[in-house]
Amino acid sequence: MEDQKLDLPQGTLDLLILKAVSLGPMHGWAISERIRDVSKATLQIPQGSLYPALHRLERRGWISAEWGASDNNRRAKYYQLTRSGRSQLQAEADAWKTLTVAVSLVLDMG
Amino acid sequence: MPNWLSDALSELRYRFRAIFRKRAVEHDLDEELHFHIEQEARKLEASGLSPDEALRQASIAFGGIERIKDDTRDVSGVSWLEILLQDFRYAARGLRARPAFTASVIITLGLGIGANVAMFGIVDQLLIRPPAYLRDPSRVHRIYLTSVSDGRDVTDGFTEYARYLDFARYTKTLDAIAVLAGNQFAVGIGEDAKEMPVGVVSASFWSFFDAKPAIGRYFTASEDSIPTGSPVAVLSYAFWQTRFGGSPDVLGRTLQIGPVPCTIIGVAAPGFVGLPDEGSPAAFIPATLYGYGVSSSRGRVDYYSTYNWGWLSIMVRRKPNVSIEAANADLTNAYRLSWAAERAISRNTSPVEVARPRAVAGPVVLERGPNATPVARIALWIAGVATIVLVIACANVANLLLARALFRRREIALRMALGAGQRRLFAQLLTESLLLGTLGGMAGIVTAQWGGAILRSLFLSDVATADVVRDVRTLAFAGAAALVAGLMTGLVPALQAGRAALAPALKTGTRDGTYQRSRTRTMLLVLQGAMSVLLLVGAGLFVRSLHNVRSMRLGYDVDPVLYVHLNLRGMRLPPDERAELARRLVEAARAIPEVESAARGISVPFWSTEGLGFLVPGVDSVRRLGHFTVQMASADYFTTTGTRILKGRGFTEGDRADGALVAVVSQGMADAVWPGKDAIGQCIKIDRVTDPCRQVVGIAENIHQNSLTESQTLQYYLSIEQMRPNEANVFIRTRGNASAHAETVRRTLQKLMPGAAYVTATPMREIIDSRQRSWQLGATMFLLFGALALVLAAVGLYSVIAYGVAQRTQEIGVRIALGAGMSDVVRLVLGQGLRFAALGILVGGGAAMWASRWVGPLLFSVSPKDPAVYGTVAVVLLAAAIFASAIPAVRASRVDPNVALRSE
Repeated sequence: MEDQKLDLPQGTLDLLILKAVSLGPMHGWAISERIRDVSKATLQIPQGSLYPALHRLERRGWISAEWGASDNNRRAKYYQLTRSGRSQLQAEADAWKTLTVAVSLVLDMG
Repeated sequence: MPNWLSDALSELRYRFRAIFRKRAVEHDLDEELHFHIEQEARKLEASGLSPDEALRQASIAFGGIERIKDDTRDVSGVSWLEILLQDFRYAARGLRARPAFTASVIITLGLGIGANVAMFGIVDQLLIRPPAYLRDPSRVHRIYLTSVSDGRDVTDGFTEYARYLDFARYTKTLDAIAVLAGNQFAVGIGEDAKEMPVGVVSASFWSFFDAKPAIGRYFTASEDSIPTGSPVAVLSYAFWQTRFGGSPDVLGRTLQIGPVPCTIIGVAAPGFVGLPDEGSPAAFIPATLYGYGVSSSRGRVDYYSTYNWGWLSIMVRRKPNVSIEAANADLTNAYRLSWAAERAISRNTSPVEVARPRAVAGPVVLERGPNATPVARIALWIAGVATIVLVIACANVANLLLARALFRRREIALRMALGAGQRRLFAQLLTESLLLGTLGGMAGIVTAQWGGAILRSLFLSDVATADVVRDVRTLAFAGAAALVAGLMTGLVPALQAGRAALAPALKTGTRDGTYQRSRTRTMLLVLQGAMSVLLLVGAGLFVRSLHNVRSMRLGYDVDPVLYVHLNLRGMRLPPDERAELARRLVEAARAIPEVESAARGISVPFWSTEGLGFLVPGVDSVRRLGHFTVQMASADYFTTTGTRILKGRGFTEGDRADGALVAVVSQGMADAVWPGKDAIGQCIKIDRVTDPCRQVVGIAENIHQNSLTESQTLQYYLSIEQMRPNEANVFIRTRGNASAHAETVRRTLQKLMPGAAYVTATPMREIIDSRQRSWQLGATMFLLFGALALVLAAVGLYSVIAYGVAQRTQEIGVRIALGAGMSDVVRLVLGQGLRFAALGILVGGGAAMWASRWVGPLLFSVSPKDPAVYGTVAVVLLAAAIFASAIPAVRASRVDPNVALRSE
């Protein structure tokens, strides 16, 4: 059976990345793995958008990057949440929850 | 750190990396993406694939790595920083491509900014900056004492040591109080002896400054105590370096300062000058030592208990939390008490109620106080003038940029057609002029560094000044001036370019058939002309003042005369020996080939004048006629100084102590004392009725003794042989300019001086020049800046007319083809230049008339509306306009109609 995959709605990729790195420093591959695992492979981040997104977030100052050694001792770029990234994550997560509640309310009517 | 700030900083960091570390960023991105693929491959390998297969599948899953890289790069987009950098590069390229244009702009701005930077340095030093090392400058003041004398308020420059003690005793609002005076002393002995400024200060003076001694220590209260003080000295750092080579073993050595051999106990901090009222001191000595030295030579050591000898000023520091008003009230109260104390011992002093003594805590720097000299005021004027020059320079550059913008219309229109926004275009042009401004600012700093040395020596001859390059405040000012200049020159052309209409510009190109006048450029040109006129009128007025003051007959010659002053440094010589010494000096001087004649005298105009009670038989109380001054002189005195004998004779070798007693009187005195009678043969008695008659044998012309504006007409001369004063100095007349021979004369005469005594040889010119300094300053500065302004205006006019001619080539071609002669074309172009000049003369002349009431008081017997000056300036400006438009006019007349008409 094919994995059931969903296209990510606009703007949710940033939210997912911020959430993923909020748990601790992580490199790009680990971020995509983590999101896939946690979402039980429902959410798969297209590789083509992961890295542009990471760089965009870094430029905005919501995440910061640092080179470190990976578990197999290779040089890897680790991302972690900054202070302003944390408040951004909070704001976006709240907005998302409000939105989903509102949307399900509308869907449940009648 | 607030979030928005850290966000902005991280953006900035990211940008800088993206721009300046491009290769590193590329490499990082590459490594990051490959790491991802390897991780994926490892995972696949773990599920059983061969390494090669795993890598292949991972790569396919990842997708086109180059496309992802592109996308990632695009995230960074184009930032303002990169735009700025791009504009900057574009501007730099454009400027490099037109070196002549760029150089002329940089030179123009450099001169304008340089003049301002140099003047700022001077004004800052004179009027703004607190003295170096001063602690809590806002609480430190000098005391200014005002009292009513002869019905007028008089603010004293100097006061007495006893007054200082009174202030220290009676005030309650002060943290610290100190004595401060400066004087010229001979420092060192023998040939090395040189007059230098020496600071005379109380021990408390040092507590006003945060300046640790470089070596040794400063003197203490116990070394500065009434009555004698201790013979100790603190050297200035600069003097220590030049005279002692910075050697640390100067401590404990002896240095003769004036009459006193002082023990060197310390060296002040580098650059420490205290308050340099009269130059940077070579050394500092205790106030009580000086007070004792001077008053003991007068025979009464009472400087600390009487109020006869005012020689110092008082410096105070308010307690924290005490307002200036409260301090003033406290100081005035102390002054009143002190005044009463003075009145108790000196009956001549008027009562407190009449004198109404007031004390004010004023600016600590004399030039900023009520007794400031005109130098500071003139410096402000010149700073204003420098600003005008900068405005002219900016107008010039703006004009050049405008002209260039018109040449570039096609380029600009093309860029706009290709989608460049007006804002981008505006930013680009502004970047260009800011770049020009910055380069001009650098040129200005260089100008100020080299040319400024001249200005500084004019204004601050005695004061130690900092380098432009090493002075942060001046550099900051230069930066600000460059920025303002860049904005001023850039805004007008940039705004105009933004308004440019697209289609016509694209169609016609640079070689426009019709000549377009720009109102802005016309106004800028007229403004430049007017500013030059304004400055040149100022220059003319000051030059005439200086000329008048210099050509005025002072009653003696100036250029060929040297005044040799004998300084015995406290050595006591009987009057006979002293007279003998002066006589020997005169003989030695006469033996010098360059010397024409020499004579003895006791006083010299502007430095010292003497008075003596006298009476004239048959005239009731000569005193009511005014203040009389006296000179005691030897044979040859009148030929040496050049004072003309109008009638009778001057002194000769025959006028000896045992001969007939003689006198010479000035014309003014002869008229005042013996009106309608012949003064020759009349009798003057000195001091008492019993004094024998001194017969008037000659009448001399009036001389200026104390003021250039008024001559001291009441002056008489007595024979030095017959008066035997205990002072004798020497006047020497040299062949040619005396300044050139001053050192030769000094060295020759110094050999005859006994012990530590020494001579100084001062050209009369130097004595007079210090009185003419304000006119000299005004003339030099206005002339300098006026010439600069004129050159700038002429260059501006030239560039605009030349540009106009280039633009009108076609039109001129048509005119010539239709039969216009060479002279018609020349007249056409010249007329244009002259019209600008005429407008400039009108506007500038009007402005000068308007400003005349403020300049008037600074001039010397010249009306601020002097028609000759205005006329000359008008001619000069017209000449400059003709000169500036002649070259383009000739070029226009040589236009070949065939070429011009075909060229489009």
